[in-house]
Parts: sequence; C-alpha cells; structure tokens
Amino acid sequence: MDKKYGVYICTGCGIGDTLDMDALTGVPGEEGVSCTTHPFLCSKAGVELIQKDIDEGKVNAMVIGACSRRVNFDVFNFPGCIIERANLREGVVWPHSRETYPALTEEQKDDGESFDQVQMKAEDYIKMGMVRLEKVGLPEPYQTQSFSKKVLVLGGGVTGMSAALDAAKAGYEVTIVEKEAALGGYAAKLRGQMPVQMPFETLQAPVVDALIQEVEGNTNIDVRTNCIVARIAGQPGEFTVTMKTPGEKIPFDVPFPLPPEELLDENGKELDADAAHEKYLKFNEGREDILSLDPDGELYGAVVLAAGWRPDVLEGEAYAHLSVDNPDVVTNDEFEMIAAKGKILRPSNGKEAKNVVFIQSAGKEEDDSDFEYTGAVTSMVALKQARYVREDYADGKAYVIYQHMRTPGLQEYFYKAMQQDDGIFLTKGAVTDVTATSSELMVTAQNTLLGENLVLKADMVVVASGMVPATKDDPIINLAYRQGPGFRDNDIFGQYADSNYICFPYETQRTGIYAAGTVRRAMTIEESVEDATGAALKAIQCIESANRGMAVHPRSGDMTYPDFFFQRCTQCKRCTVECPFGALDDDARGTPKANPTRCRRCGTCMGACPERIISFADYTIDSIGSQVKAISVPSEDDYDEPPLRFLALVCENDALPAFDMVGMNRVDYSPDVRVIPVRCLGSVNTIWIKDALAQGMDGVILIGCKHGDDYQCHFVKGSELAEIRVKKIGDALASLALENERVAFEEVAIDEYDKLPKIINDFVEEVDALGPNPFKGF
Amino acid sequence: MSANYIAQPDLGFIAEIRGLGGETLKKCYQCATCSVACPIAPEDSPFPRKEMIAASWGLKDKLISNGDIWLCHQCGDCTDMCPRGAAPGDVLAAVRSAAITEYATPKALAKAVNDPSKLKLLLGIPAAWFALLAIITMGFGGIMEKIFHFLFGDALGGRLHWSHAHEGAEHVIAHSNFVSTWFVDMTFVPTAIFATAVFFLALKRFIVDIHENAVLEGKTDKTSLDYKALLMSIKNVIPMVLKHDKFNQCGSNKDRATPHMMVLFAFIGLFIVTAVCGTMLYVGNYAGPYPQLNPIKWLANIAGVALVIGSGMMIKNRLSNKEQITAYKDWFILGVVFALGLSGMLTEMARIAEIAWLAYFFYWIHLIAIFNLFAFLPFSKMAHIVYRTVAMGYADYANRK
Repeated sequence: MDKKYGVYICTGCGIGDTLDMDALTGVPGEEGVSCTTHPFLCSKAGVELIQKDIDEGKVNAMVIGACSRRVNFDVFNFPGCIIERANLREGVVWPHSRETYPALTEEQKDDGESFDQVQMKAEDYIKMGMVRLEKVGLPEPYQTQSFSKKVLVLGGGVTGMSAALDAAKAGYEVTIVEKEAALGGYAAKLRGQMPVQMPFETLQAPVVDALIQEVEGNTNIDVRTNCIVARIAGQPGEFTVTMKTPGEKIPFDVPFPLPPEELLDENGKELDADAAHEKYLKFNEGREDILSLDPDGELYGAVVLAAGWRPDVLEGEAYAHLSVDNPDVVTNDEFEMIAAKGKILRPSNGKEAKNVVFIQSAGKEEDDSDFEYTGAVTSMVALKQARYVREDYADGKAYVIYQHMRTPGLQEYFYKAMQQDDGIFLTKGAVTDVTATSSELMVTAQNTLLGENLVLKADMVVVASGMVPATKDDPIINLAYRQGPGFRDNDIFGQYADSNYICFPYETQRTGIYAAGTVRRAMTIEESVEDATGAALKAIQCIESANRGMAVHPRSGDMTYPDFFFQRCTQCKRCTVECPFGALDDDARGTPKANPTRCRRCGTCMGACPERIISFADYTIDSIGSQVKAISVPSEDDYDEPPLRFLALVCENDALPAFDMVGMNRVDYSPDVRVIPVRCLGSVNTIWIKDALAQGMDGVILIGCKHGDDYQCHFVKGSELAEIRVKKIGDALASLALENERVAFEEVAIDEYDKLPKIINDFVEEVDALGPNPFKGF
Repeated sequence: MSANYIAQPDLGFIAEIRGLGGETLKKCYQCATCSVACPIAPEDSPFPRKEMIAASWGLKDKLISNGDIWLCHQCGDCTDMCPRGAAPGDVLAAVRSAAITEYATPKALAKAVNDPSKLKLLLGIPAAWFALLAIITMGFGGIMEKIFHFLFGDALGGRLHWSHAHEGAEHVIAHSNFVSTWFVDMTFVPTAIFATAVFFLALKRFIVDIHENAVLEGKTDKTSLDYKALLMSIKNVIPMVLKHDKFNQCGSNKDRATPHMMVLFAFIGLFIVTAVCGTMLYVGNYAGPYPQLNPIKWLANIAGVALVIGSGMMIKNRLSNKEQITAYKDWFILGVVFALGLSGMLTEMARIAEIAWLAYFFYWIHLIAIFNLFAFLPFSKMAHIVYRTVAMGYADYANRK
C-alpha cells in the first residue's frame, strides 16, 4: 500500500479553546504532512472534507485528532484507509483543565523555561499517531484451506436436540452425537416436568418426546447414537472429527499430555525436552499425533457441547448425619426414578410413602449452602417432587426444608402454585439429623421459621443432590490440541465447562466450542432449551466469521491474525504454552503452528515471544515500540526542571473506557502520562517497557483487567501473564540501575473509573520521589 | 426453647381455616411484613407472622391455644401491606372462629352456628317456640291466670299475677300481651345460665391453654398461673376495652372502631335498661311499656338507635370493603345484631303507630334475634367479647410486651 498521509484536527468540544492550534498543526507540518482543522469534524461537512481528500487520492492514512476512538467510530469510517484516532478530547483537553494546568502567558512563551504540559501531551499524541500510520498495514482476511458449515452437537438430550433444531432451522446441517442408544438424555426418564409455559402453575408431561420426534423428522439433522467423539482436530471452519463407539480403542483417540508428575525423573528433577517428548510418545503409544489428520474424519465448522450431567453421589462423613445409607433416604434422582414407576413406595418395605421430607441443604447449623452442583434447580425439583406425593396420596404430606428456595423468573408462579397445596409444607431450616426408628424416619431441623427445633416424622427422606457436569469426569470434546483435550482451569468454575456466565455465556476457552445446558451450570429443561439457542447461534456466528476470515469473539470482525516470522523462531514454545485459547500447536521440533480461526487476536503470543517475531497487520512490536519512541522526553538540556514523562499501556477492554470516562467527567490527572491502548495486557511485550525506560521516560504503568479466579480479563489469562512478566523485568531494570517501582501494574474494572486519577497521580508522585530517570537526555 | 417440637400438620384444620375466611393462609412466604405493619403486636415475638406459618402448616395445637390470636383486632394493616396477597387479619379471624368452636360445648351446636345450612334450624326453633308462647299468651290467658292463681294463690301478698299488663289496660299494645313476660324470662334466664356455664367451662381450659402456650413460646415471665392476679389484670384492661384504645391504633380499618364502639355501648345501655325494667317489674310491679318521657326510655331509645346505626355501618363497611374477606360467621352475627336492633325499634314504632299486629310481628322477630344472640353467644363470633377480654387480661398479667 502506497501510503498518503494526512492529519485532521477537530477544534470543537473545547479542543481549539484549550490548545495552541498553530503549534499543534505545526507538528505534522514539520514532517511535511498536510494538516487540516475543522471546527466540527464529525459533522457532515467535516466528514465530507476528509472523504473529498480520499476521493481525490490525496490521503489514505490519516490521523484524526479529535475524540476518543471509542466514539464516532462509525462516523470516521473510511474503508480501505488506515485510521488513527489521536484522542485529544477525552485524553487531553477534558481531563487536564486549564484551571489546574494553565496555558502559558505571552511572556512565559518566550522565556525558554516554561512549558505547557497539556499542549505537550496533545503534540505527542499527534506524533504517536503519525508514527503508527507508518508502521501498520491493512489486514488481509485469513482463509482456511477447506471449509465446512456443518454443526456438530455433542449430546442428544434436551439441550443437544434443541440446539440441533435451532441450527437446522437456520439452514445448517447438524450431526448429533449421543453416547447412549437413544436420544432423550435424562429428561426422557422423568415422571413430570416443571412448567415451561404460562401460567407456570402445573407440572407437565416432559417435552422430550416431542423434541425427539421433531429431530428425527428434520432432514438437516443426522443422529448418531452409541457414538462419541474420539478426537476433534484442526480449527473452527475445518474441524476434522473422528467418531467411535464408546469403549472402542482406535489410532485416532486423542493423545493426552503427560500428567505433571510424569515430567519428573526419579530424583524429582524436570526431564529435558527430548526425554519428556519420548515419555509423551510412550504414554500415548498407539495414538496418532495431534497434528496428523484423520483421512476418514468428517469436517465440521463448529461444535455445540451439550453433554449434560450425572446425579451427584452423596456418601461419606459429610452426609452421615442424614443417614444417607438408610434405604428410605434417597437422592432426588432416585426419588424421580421411584416416582416415574408409579405410586411412591418406600424402598425398604414397599409400603406407601405418604410423608416425605425433602432436604435442600446438608450443612447442619454451621453452613447454609445447598448441596454441591445444585443452583436453583433442586429447589424447583423439590417442589415438583413434593407435588408427586400429593398426586399419589390425598392425605400425603410433603415437607421441604431449605436454606434457599430459588425459583427464578416466572418459576415464581410455580412456587406459588405449589405453596397453595394444602399438603406441601415449606420452611427454611438447618437439618441437623435424620434418624431411623423401627417404623419411620425422624428429621430434626433447627432455626426454622416455626421457631424451635422442629421434628418431622417421615416415611421417606429425599436429599437434593446436585447435577455434576459431564465435563468433570471426562474432557468429552477430545480436542487434538497441544494444550490438551479438554478445557483448562475448569476447577475455578467448579468443573463446569468453562464459560463466563455473565459477560460471554456459551463461550468457552476453545474458539468454536460452545457449551450449553447443564455442562455450564445446573439448569432446568426450560433454561436448557433457551441456552441451546444461544449456543447454536454462537456456533453459527463462529462459522460465518471464520468463513470471512474474521475473529468471532470478543474482537468480533477483526480481520488481523498473528503472523510469525519463523526464520527467527527459537522453538521456545512460550507462545504455544501461554495462549489462553490453545490456538497454537507445535510440531515435534517445537515450531508453532498457528490456527488462525481458533485465535481470539489478543496478542498474548506477541507479548510472550522473546524473539518478538509475532505481529498483527495493524498491531506490531514495531508499531507500538515506535509510538513509545515518538514520545518527547524533555531533559535538563531543554528545561532547568523538565517535566517527568510516563508511559501507560492500557487495556482497551476495561481500562481504556474507564480513562475515557475520567475525561468525560472532567476529573484531572497528571498530564505527563502518555496512554497507548493495547489489545490486552497479555500482548504487552516487555521490550516496550525497556525501550521507554531506556529513552529516559521516568516510569511505565500497565493498567488492565482483574485477574484471578474471578477474573475479568477478556482474554482470560492476559492480565495475569502481564503481571508475571512485569515482575520478571526487575532483573533487567537492576542491570540499568533503575528502581523496580518505575514499573507498575494496576487492575481496574470498567466501573472503577473514579479510581483511575488517584492511581495515576499516586504513581507519578511515587516516581517523582525517586527522582528523574538518569537516562534522560542520552 | 430447645425442646423438640414434633410437627403434625392437620389437613382438616387447613381446610377448616380456609372455609372460615382464611382462604389465603397458604400464600404467606414469611417475610414478616405483617408483624412489622401491625400497630398492636407486641415487640417480643410479634404476631401474625408466626401464626401464618402455623396456619399454613395446619398446626392446630399452636394456634387454638395461642392467646395472641385474640390480641389481634383485625385492623387489616397486615393484609394491606402483604406483598403476596395473603390476608393475615382474615386468617387470624378464621383461627379465632375455629378456637371458639374448639372451646365450646356442645361441639355440635358450635358447628351448627358456623354452618350456613343450619341457619334455618337456628332461626326456626326459636321462631316456633315463641310462636307457641304467643298462642298460649293470647289464646289461653284466662287458663294461665287460673293456673297462676291455683299455684301461687296470695303468695307475696297477691303480687304474682299472670298478666303484667297495666291495670285495666288489657287492650293496650304491650309486649306482655303478646308473649307473657313470664314466658320470655322463663326462656331467657335459663339461656343466659346456659351461656354462662358454657363460657365458664371454656374459660377453665382456655386460660390454662394460653398460659401453657405462652410459657412454651417464651411469651411470659410468669411460670405459674395466679387466678387472682389474672382477674385483677382483666379488670385493668376493661377501661382499655371500653375506650377502644387498641382498636384506635389501627390503620387500614380505623373506621371500624366507631361503629364497634357504638354497638358495644348500645349493648351496655340495653343491658342496663333490661336490668332496670326487670327489677321494676318484679320488685316494683311496674310493667312496660314505659312512657317516652321516662329516662329509662331515653336510654333505651338512644341505645337502640346506636345499635341499628352501629351494626348498619358495620354491614355497609363489610359490603364495600373488597380487601377484607367476610365469611358466613361474620354475616351471621352482624345479621343477628342488626335484626335485633331494627326489630326492637320497629316494634316500638309500630306500637306508637298503634298497629298492634305489626308491633307483635316485629316483637316476634325481636325475640328470635335475641335468642340467637344469647343462646349462641359462646359459639358465634360474639364470643370474642369474653375470649378477647380474657386474653387481653392475660397479656397484661403475663407482661406480654
């Protein structure tokens, strides 16, 4: 691309009033780049002004010095051009008021000692923008070699069938893989179902039969029962899937990584790479390597994981007080099976069970949590099963002792309806004890709504065991990925298929694999049906995005992807290991193999690479590095007391909008800080920090999302890795005789904009106390 | 409080409460808004939250013997504020009704009073009885006179006559010319004794029960029952009852206090009138009807008007208040009271208008109403006059705060 540069500066929104426009327009002028100002650049006239220059062939790479890139992105949208938005409004004039940082007077302008910090920042931003234009290019969309639009659904229960039907109705071919001999899953075994439609007041016949019929009648859906996935290789758009019958051993069973303890020798020392690889090969003997594709495999575009759940097994000391070994003390799953057979009878003697106590929480007095893996479902199941007792016996009594009665949404009507039943008795309470007498069970509960220690006589006791996600026991998806066949870090999600419930439901850490239903959390049939739709739509979005060479999520529509300069690769595998999404595989030598449609474009690999050989078309080591170098660092040669200079590498997901909000709220913070937005802190290569300090900048601060078990990082691991990398930079700083405090790491959530000014000012003060960077002026 | 309580829900009791106007008892989800809203609940373990769960669980044992249900004046603030559309006030009213039945003997009579299908019988028997007495009085006065003379002769100086009509005024319109005062008193004195006996037997159990319940639920600092002190406490609360102190704290149904007070004072007035008339008749040999200028007549007229207006207002309030549930038990007692007052006034008016047959007809109605009130006093809602007063007295005695 033959770049023709131009700079357009808006003087509206206070920019022209605050800044010395002659000086500012002089910045591009020095470089011989034309600079145009307009009082209202985002107006029709302003945009036409730019469009006219483009049409006349005068410009195709522009710095637009106006508002934040987070606003008016649709207005300043010129296809085929490279746009850089220099943030003069939210980034310069709004958060640095003239009351706090006055403009220079006429005398001061000429005294050679005074400087205008706000003007300096604006000029730096224009310079940084111009440099970036030089360094980046327009992306070319990535195309896979082959492509399939078929959707693979793992699991033939309510969720799987619903997802399959939704995708099929949208025109996509679907294959359902079900390990059992028939479709239906757990829902097919139920006696009754919680309501799924208004008025949500009565039990209904399970919807599963209708679903099975619909699936079997749909020509777009291919059902494979007695079937599981041996491996899923490749990447979204061209997943190569090998299927098999459960229990079968085949060469294309996915290889498993060595367990951590296997990576040590007899003395507990870590094995070297060759020995480890040999051990790995032996460990997976008879299995093809992940990179060898099954010639008989079928191609799929995306996968919906709807593998469902199994009932939790309640045993051991934790449940001893509930007499779980007594035959008349059963789990809700066992009770459902008894009820499905007909009248509810006591397992011990086959007599009528007219008095049934449902226990929702196991914790005695000290712990009010429900059983594990329950969510809201067990509350509603208890109400449903209480109703069974009443259906079977006119004089039946069903008691529900709960710590939490959770009936979300319209299921509140179901709760109300069940509550109206004369023979259903509800109370909050802590069950302390279940004991058996010769003829019945005695349930004792404390702190009930009835006040005292409540004792209930029961024929049967039902404990609310939870729904254990299938992903706890088995990877299921069996991905032929170097990072392993399953999801990583499922333990922080309680073994549910990982997925950020709030921000990105359905999304897992493996692009193209979308979890739905009870592998995500305990759900009712009603919720599962809805969940299935979400996952089916995500799968379709993935297929259509991959087909266009675009990222699916969260950088939807991004057409860049990581580009490797392999000649300099040292096979250190850091990129493969650190990629939060397992996008990179490596061959036997350790050379990474990019799978661009698996990639989320966060740049964590770019931040990881010690050789700095990974870049994106519009986001490179050099482009950011050059922006850093474009920042002016005044020294004592320039002023007796030169201002300090700081670099802030700011995550564009949460921290950057928070910075904009500080500007919008006109809260002042130090104007000596230069903000460079980054895709994710994970993409920050420490070379940028070193460069900044080497050129005399006084401090560098990284601001990103919270990490940890309740992480908010949009790329899961990015900010965590960044903090680790920043800590490791200490040695390098020491060799330069610089203090560790000059590099800081901060976490900010999008709603914590109010904390930012203090974070910045505190950092500035702390570094100020250390004194200026001794490298200034070199 | 650490003792174990074995809960034994009674499905029949739940159905009973539903039938007595406590239809909403299962709507409660125990947020306790009602207990906070209630202007008269004690601070320490306030009602009606705990009564609501006991009701929805059908725990008859926790409710019937619970003195708190009588402290409730059915203000309706709880019902108004309930976020779930439950009506704790009406549930407690239904529970009280069940409690009245529970403590009454004979139970069959108590059940009949709350059973609309038995209404015909409850009205028919006294109607027939008084009709019979009227026939005897009017048709066989001479025979009765002879029987009287034969029986008593000149006892008490010849003061015992069959007829209580004024000397030489046999043709004046007087109730005793319709149903002999002897007959009336021979009916109502035993009725009153019966009602008192029923109340006595009931209270014997009631007081022990509410005390036991209070001890069990930690609502009192008293461990044993001191009947003398309890009696003093009951005396203490009577001025409070008369002044409607508790009733006046009500929010939503504040309007009910005035008619209730009118009816209460009307009954007190009528009680005084009846007592004076009885004394005058049997001691002073002075028979009615009294002239309109007699102060006793004034009191009778004022009380009668107050009774009609008071009970009329209550009926009107009930009809217009769609929030509050009005069950059969409520209509029964309101009907009896209103009929009693109205028939009394109409009797008087017809008498003044000198339409004898009409006056006697209204008087017959009046007698039926009085019978229904007195004979069924321990079984109808009217029994609250005794239970509530005793329960309030007990609360005072028990230091319920």
